[in-house]
Amino acid sequence: MISHRRGNAQRISALDERAEALHLKRDMGIADARAMHPTIDIVEADPQADRRLLEGLADWCDRYTPLVALDATDGLFLDVTGCTHLFGGERAMLDDILSRFFHQGFDVRAGLAATPGAAWAAARFSGDRIVAGGEEEALLAPLPLAALRIEPATRTSLESVGLRTAGAVMAAPRAPLARRFGASLLLRLDQALGRLDEAVSPRLPVAPLSVERHLSEPVTLTEDIERLVGMLAAALKTDLERRGEGARTLALLLFRVDGAVSRIAIGTSRPMREPQLIQKLFHERLAALEQDIDAGYGFDLVRLSVLTAAAFDMQQADLAGEVTDDGADIALFADRIRARLGEGAVLQPVTVESHLPERAVATIPFTAAPRRTTPPKKPDRLQAPMTIFPPERPIRLFRSPEPIEVPATEMPEGPPLNFRWRRALYRVMRAEGPERIAAEWWREAASDEAASTRDYYRIEDADGRRYWLYRQGLYGGTQVPPRWFMHGVFA
Amino acid sequence: MAMTAVARETVFALRRQIAKIEGTLPERLQAPVAATPDAGVSPNTDLTIIRRGIAAALPDTFLPTGVERLDTALSGGLPKAALSEIHGTETRDAGAVAGFALSLASLILKQTQGLPVLWIGTSEIFREAGFPYARGLHASFGIEPEQLLFSEAPRLVDALWIAEEAAKMTALAAVILEIRGNPQRLDLTATRRLHARAQSAGRPVFLLRQAAGPEPTAAPVRLIVASAPAVPRHTIAGPLAGSIGRPAFTITIGKSRTALPGQFTLEWNPDERAFDERWGDERWGEERRGEERAKNPVPVVSLSGSGKDPAAASGAVLAFPAVGSLAAGDQPSPWERAAHLSPRRAG
Repeated sequence: MISHRRGNAQRISALDERAEALHLKRDMGIADARAMHPTIDIVEADPQADRRLLEGLADWCDRYTPLVALDATDGLFLDVTGCTHLFGGERAMLDDILSRFFHQGFDVRAGLAATPGAAWAAARFSGDRIVAGGEEEALLAPLPLAALRIEPATRTSLESVGLRTAGAVMAAPRAPLARRFGASLLLRLDQALGRLDEAVSPRLPVAPLSVERHLSEPVTLTEDIERLVGMLAAALKTDLERRGEGARTLALLLFRVDGAVSRIAIGTSRPMREPQLIQKLFHERLAALEQDIDAGYGFDLVRLSVLTAAAFDMQQADLAGEVTDDGADIALFADRIRARLGEGAVLQPVTVESHLPERAVATIPFTAAPRRTTPPKKPDRLQAPMTIFPPERPIRLFRSPEPIEVPATEMPEGPPLNFRWRRALYRVMRAEGPERIAAEWWREAASDEAASTRDYYRIEDADGRRYWLYRQGLYGGTQVPPRWFMHGVFA
Repeated sequence: MAMTAVARETVFALRRQIAKIEGTLPERLQAPVAATPDAGVSPNTDLTIIRRGIAAALPDTFLPTGVERLDTALSGGLPKAALSEIHGTETRDAGAVAGFALSLASLILKQTQGLPVLWIGTSEIFREAGFPYARGLHASFGIEPEQLLFSEAPRLVDALWIAEEAAKMTALAAVILEIRGNPQRLDLTATRRLHARAQSAGRPVFLLRQAAGPEPTAAPVRLIVASAPAVPRHTIAGPLAGSIGRPAFTITIGKSRTALPGQFTLEWNPDERAFDERWGDERWGEERRGEERAKNPVPVVSLSGSGKDPAAASGAVLAFPAVGSLAAGDQPSPWERAAHLSPRRAG
C-alpha cells in the first residue's frame, strides 16, 4: 500500500488487491487504515520514480508507434493510426500489447477507439474493448460522468441536477449545458464523439525517417548490433537519396526483451548517408558505451531513426573518378572521435577580437566551427595598419594563470629579479616589457579599474626558457598589493 | 644485358622495400658513393634513388631542417613518413619542445598548403604545460588558426587511440602527440604501431614527451630539445641590449640510425619560417660582451607611473657598490670582515 501527503494528512494513494480485500479505499487516512489493520505495510509515494517508470514504458511503446504521449500520471496514449496492419490488425495488436505488459508484470487496461476520448473511456471503464468508428456514442452512453474526462467540480454539479451518465448529458440540450457548465464540457464530449479533432502531442519528436527490424531471435553481441545498423542504414540510404538529404543526427533504439530501451544518438558534422560510415560511427559509440549497455537477454527490436536531416550536396567526381572533397576525411575522423569521446574531443581555435589574451582565442568543437569555403583573404591595403611590431604572444597559455611568488623586483613597477613558480626558484636574466593590458570595461564593469590592470613581461631565465608573467594591480593605487602570475610559455 | 638490367632493377626495388621497412637505407647497401654530402639533389642517376652521403633514399623522404650540419648528421633531415620522438627533460621545457615541433610543422606546412595539423594531448599535459595558444602559434610559426585542430583526451589510452586513427590519415599535414612522463602503456609496441601507421600514410607523427627519460622506441629518430638563451633583437643601431630575440633551441640527437650523437643550437626565424644555426656560445658571448652594453640605451622598462625620477636602464644596477678599498690595501675594511672574526662582545 502506498501513502502520500495531501492537505495535512497522510492518505492512501494506491493499494493492491489484498489491501482492497481488507475494505481499505483510496483517499482514506493512513491513521484510520492503521486503526483498522495495524499490520498493513505502508510505503511513501515517490512521484518521480512513478514518472520515470511511465516514461520507460512510453519508450518501450515506441515499438508500436512513434507517437506516444503521457496521460496524467498513470496513462499512455498511443496513436496507432496506420500502424495496426504491421501487427496483424487491431485485435492482434491490442492482445500483443496486453500480453507483453502482462509478462513484464504490469496490470494494464487498454482500449482502442477512433478518438482519444473514447479510447480513454474504453480503457478505464469497459476494459480491453475495441470501439469501431461511429460506436462511440453507444460506448459512452451507459458510462458514468467520469468517463468524459471533465473537472470534478463540473461533475458534481452535473450530478446535482440529475445528469448521472454520459448518455444523459448527451441527450440534454446543448445550449443550456454550455451556458451553465462552460465550454469545456461540450468540448470533451465532442472530442470523445469524434465531432472535434483532438491531437495527441507525442512525448518525443517524431523522427522524419526511421527503419526497424524485428528479430525472432534476440541479439546480444555488439558485432551483431553493428551489422544490423549497417543493414538498417542501407535501407535508410534510399529514402535519404529520394529526399536529397543526409542525416545530421541519428538515433539507435535497442528494445530489450524485458522492456528496457537503450537510446544511442550520434551527430555528424556533415550530412551523411553512406551505410558504411554510419556503421563506423556507431561502432565507435558502441565501443565507448560497452559498459553502459546491458544486453541482458538480448534485443528483439532494433530501430535506426534520422532525427535531423540536412540537404546533402552531391560531389561530382572528376574524370579519374576521384571525388575531390578535402574536408570530408577530417569531418569523418572528427565524428568518429566525437562518437567515442564526446562532444569536445576535437577542438578548433577561433580568434576573437579581444585584448585579454585568454579571451582572444576561443576553442570550439570541430562540428560547430564555421566551415571555410574560400581560402583566407589576404589583408587588404585599405585595412587599418597593423602595428609594426606586433605584440609577442606565447605559444602555450595556462588555462588559469598560476600565482608566483616574487620576492623582489628591480624597481617598484619593473620586472621581477627572481620568482618562485611551482616550488622552484627562477632567476630572471632578461626581461621585456611591460605590456599593459587593462580590463575590458565594455564587457563587464570592473569592480576596481586599477586592481584588474595587468602588466605583462617577457622573461628569460638562466637556462634560456622564456615565460610570460604579469603583475595584476598597480602599486599605491589600491588597497590590495599587486600579485604576480605566470600566464604562458614562449618557444 | 637486358636481363641483368632487369635483375638489377628488381634487386634495387627489393632493397628499396627493405629500406622502407627499416626506415632508412644503411651503408650496408653496396650503392656506389657518388656524391659528396652536400651534393644535394642531383637527378643525374638513372635510378629513382638519389644518393646523399651514406644514405640513399627517395627524394621526398626527408624533411630537411635547413641547417646543414644537422641535416647531414641526420642524413638528410627528419624522416617524413615516420614517428619522430622529441623529448624534453623537464616539464618546464614544454615551451621549447612544443616550439621545436611546431617549427617542424611550420616547415611542413610551407610545402603542403591547406592541410591541418592535429595536436593531441592528454588533459594532464595541457594542464601542466599550458594549452596551445593559437595567436602565439600564428605569430611565431605562421600557422593559421584554421589549420589547427586540438584534441584533448582524458586518458592516455584515448590519446593513443586518437593518435593511431590520426596517423592513418593523409588529410592531415602532421600529427603531434604530447605525453608526459614515461607511462607504461607507451612502450615499444605502441610506438611501433604509430610508426607503422605513419609510414603507410606518409605523414609525420611527432611524439612529444615531456619530462621523459629515453626508452626503447620504434621511432628512427629521437631528439632531445632544451631551450637556449636567445640573442638580443637586432635593430638598425645594432643589438638591443637586454631584449629577447628569436627563439632558440639546443638540439641533442639522442637516437638516430645514421648519425652519431651531436648537439646543435638552432634559432627559429619566424619571419622567414626557417631555422638558422648558431655556432657555439663563444661567438655569441663575444657579441654579447661587446655589444650588450648598449650603444642605444633604450629603457626597456617603463618610466615609473607617478614618480618624477626617470628609471635607469636595466642592467646598470649593481648588487654592491664598487669596493675601491680592496685595491688600496690587502686588509679588508672592518665592516667587510666576516662576522665570526669580529671580537665578540662580552655579554
